Amino acid sequence: MKATFPHLLHLDVALGFLYSSLGIDVVYPPPITKKTIDIGVKLAPQNACFPLKVTLGNFIESIEKGADTLFMAGGVGPCRFGYYAQIQRIILEDLGYQVRFVLLDHPRYGWIPFLQALRAMSGRVLSPLRLKRTVSLAWKILRFTEDLEAQRRALRCRVVDKDLLDNVIDGAIDRLRSVSSEAEFERIKREAEEAINALELHEAQKLLRVGIVGEVYVAQEKRINFNVEKLLGDLGVYVHNSVSTVEYVLHTLPFTKSKEKLEAWQMAKPYLRRFVGGEGIDSVGSTIRYAKQGFDGVVHLYPFTCMPEIVAKSVLTRVKEDFNLPILHLAIDEHSGEAGLITRVEAFVDVLERRKMNSKEKVEVW
Amino acid sequence: MKKVGLPRGLLFYRFYFLWKTFLEELGFEVVVSPPTNKEVVHWGLTNSVDEICFPVKVFLGHVFSLIDRVDFLFLPRMVSFHKNEYNCPKILGLPDIVRNLFRYPDENLLDSEVNMRDRGVRGWLQGYLEIGRKLGKSERETMRALSLAEEKHRSFREQVRSGLLPEVLIDGKKPFPSFPEKVLLLGHPYLVSDSYINMNLVQKLADLGFSVFTSEMLPEKDIRKALKLVPKISFWTISNEILGTALHFIRNRGEGVQGLIHLVSFECGPDSLVGEVIERVLKREREELPYLRLEIDEHTGEAGVVTRLEAFVDMIRWRRREVESNFSSPFAS
Repeated sequence: MKATFPHLLHLDVALGFLYSSLGIDVVYPPPITKKTIDIGVKLAPQNACFPLKVTLGNFIESIEKGADTLFMAGGVGPCRFGYYAQIQRIILEDLGYQVRFVLLDHPRYGWIPFLQALRAMSGRVLSPLRLKRTVSLAWKILRFTEDLEAQRRALRCRVVDKDLLDNVIDGAIDRLRSVSSEAEFERIKREAEEAINALELHEAQKLLRVGIVGEVYVAQEKRINFNVEKLLGDLGVYVHNSVSTVEYVLHTLPFTKSKEKLEAWQMAKPYLRRFVGGEGIDSVGSTIRYAKQGFDGVVHLYPFTCMPEIVAKSVLTRVKEDFNLPILHLAIDEHSGEAGLITRVEAFVDVLERRKMNSKEKVEVW
Repeated sequence: MKKVGLPRGLLFYRFYFLWKTFLEELGFEVVVSPPTNKEVVHWGLTNSVDEICFPVKVFLGHVFSLIDRVDFLFLPRMVSFHKNEYNCPKILGLPDIVRNLFRYPDENLLDSEVNMRDRGVRGWLQGYLEIGRKLGKSERETMRALSLAEEKHRSFREQVRSGLLPEVLIDGKKPFPSFPEKVLLLGHPYLVSDSYINMNLVQKLADLGFSVFTSEMLPEKDIRKALKLVPKISFWTISNEILGTALHFIRNRGEGVQGLIHLVSFECGPDSLVGEVIERVLKREREELPYLRLEIDEHTGEAGVVTRLEAFVDMIRWRRREVESNFSSPFAS
């Protein structure tokens, strides 16, 4: 069995470690490129959401590299994600690929397939203790990659040498790919933290602060969203992203509760009272949280035609007014152009700067 | 008498008789927005965010037309009316969309949650009881109104099953003529039943000599039986009905169905995936069955629809001739 899985930012680092430790041969999906997107767009239904197309592209590129087993997650709706695997399977079948789909679907669709998938994804039987250690280290790796990205976002606006920042963080992520033990992981972590702390920073000053909300895939995957975070950071904006894979997994698992998400849901309540699938309610809640924390603006990222996010967008029109908070909505799909996106982000930052200046002037007059 | 507004859109075409009877039995005057027209669409377009699908925009136009004329807006949050299934996220969030876009006061919005996903009939009852409470009615009064309403609903569903379209029953329109040749018209009831949105599609087909058969005309048990053929059914009730009906007719052509039209609104999330399943199954199993996917939004031109319909009908007739010409004729050899 040569297994593969779709990309989600640095998920491949953690999953690659997990599966190979469990004795499963892993075929890493090639990085998302224009080719990946082209393959997905050509084969997937035209009006399907963009992540379905990109992940389909991942699958096909991995199959061509020799993968014969695909790991995928399912779901129970109402967002379309839970039905991706069904569509992708039928497309791959029609193309004549002989691959095995291991679908980890909600036990609602039957405990037997759920347990079978879990078993296939956990490889050779290990002792429970070793299994626990492996999973927990994989989880730590995932958390750390996200932590590194958070640091990159927060520091980009202040660091003197931006290339050095990228080198430090990309280097650390690269080294994580070859981790084999807990001690090694701790060493990489410590060294990365030291390198980050050693970076030279500009004097702290009043910076613009922008929060990112939206659908989990598009708001995170920078190879899809034209690296909006970098764009903002280069313009001197402090960026915070409310979306993370760790949070996503935590909230999806029925027995865990993440405090931040629950808090965001509570904040969304006056505007959106009910879960509408995907990250719809999180987008609203996180926007309100950013507003309350005094952020200058919010960038809302989602795939074009994403149903939960369109509900969120409708609701956000009022949040925008009530909190006097500028929101830039960016719907991403295969037709999105980089130049247009850059122009819009730059214009947005201009607006934020002007607002900040005006508010200062007002204070001075009175 | 206090007035309750019922916007003519989305699930209206499914639950009109239920909702109307329920509210009237509780002692309210029901005000229904006028059939969709240019003005309603215009209001919808100006009052909604641009990316939302056309049927929701139209619905918001209907809401706008009612807002100043009624004391309450009836907008139950129809999360689910089938076990283990959902409606589309936009329907789930509809009351919030209306509340925020129109700044509609909370106390006048009847938006109790009707959710049969986990609790089945109890979820259904709970929703309506809550509406009753909000309107100041006792549990007994509400239950009585609901059971009368459900009776009306059942007889409406039976009439639809016998071949009458909802808009005929709701507005008392003249029924469309019935022809032996039929087209399977798949699509959400708000597209199939709103002849302004679908540009008089049913009438146009009738002019070409075809009647339509819709998923609401197929018994529920046939739909569910056909759905067993896919490894995992979707989690959207109406899309499942569409998928089940399509599969049923792909496997056993019946009712004189000559071809398939799938009416979808551009940006419809569920249909973008379910439609793909239908197309691929069709291609695998009955490639000869004529199929037309008609995508509709506010920019769709009527002339284009007519052209495509005519081509579709030509295709049906041409394919049939081709099949017939393959029989050995007495003059051959």
